[in-house]
Amino acid sequence: MKAWWIVPVWKTLHYFAIALVVGIVGLVDLRIVGVAKGLPLRPLQRLMPWAVVAFAVAAASGYALLRLNPANSFGPPVNVAFAGKILFLLLIGLNDMLYFATGLKRQVDAVGAGERTSVSARIVAGVSLVLWIGVVYWSRMLTFLAGAI
Amino acid sequence: MHLLQQWTEANAFLIWLRESPSIWAYPTVFFAHTIGLVFTAGASLVISARLLGAARHLPIAPLARFFRAIWIGVWLTAMSGLVMLASDLETKLTNRLFPVKMTLVVCAVALMVVLRRRVEQSSESASTRALAAVSLLCWLGAVAAGRFMAYF
Repeated sequence: MKAWWIVPVWKTLHYFAIALVVGIVGLVDLRIVGVAKGLPLRPLQRLMPWAVVAFAVAAASGYALLRLNPANSFGPPVNVAFAGKILFLLLIGLNDMLYFATGLKRQVDAVGAGERTSVSARIVAGVSLVLWIGVVYWSRMLTFLAGAI
Repeated sequence: MHLLQQWTEANAFLIWLRESPSIWAYPTVFFAHTIGLVFTAGASLVISARLLGAARHLPIAPLARFFRAIWIGVWLTAMSGLVMLASDLETKLTNRLFPVKMTLVVCAVALMVVLRRRVEQSSESASTRALAAVSLLCWLGAVAAGRFMAYF
């Protein structure tokens, strides 16, 4: 018999980590899109390794939660929200790979205080924002869409 | 109080929200609450961390521009929270953790107002750092209390 507090403790940790990831990524993306132009982008992007650490915590706590209640996500039938969440995370990975591979990251690093980013950088940042909001959406729907189809 | 409860129990929108199995009813309002909170708390944590000395190379004052986006998050969270509270007044108000969560949220939002001014002044004084630390703890506590409410 598992103690009643194990699930809420993992969930709380999971939420903290997600808040940190979305907080950091959200602020960087918003700056690239054009909010708070007074911020130079190189020092702002240096926060990203912390988002990676927070993401690792979110992934680890998420895995623990998955092990505690596999049926909610895996079904059968597979939870649509879980599939959507994994798909969106993969798309985020792809979007980020594109950001590095095309040299956009370095180009954005050179954007100083008061300067605008290129259109392509703004598109990648906008896509990232939408996908992260989507990840939170699917996460919230996990309990509601279990066994839906 | 009794009248308020009667009204929330008879209101058509709140009944729909409470009883509809639709994914566009309660789950959607709950999502609005979550996304608003995630952004508000997340961005506040980052700004507090900067005031506490993280990412020293990052200028402080321009961060103030983010507060407008953060306030949108606060309103989204507050409005959706109010609707969910009204849809289930009795359960929420009798929950022992609810007043704890609300106290922490009110403190965190009040600190946001103060911290915005400190950010505009690029303040890194001891008092600013203390306020940033308290703000950080308030958000962490509020999220934890909100999560644990479901178990009390």
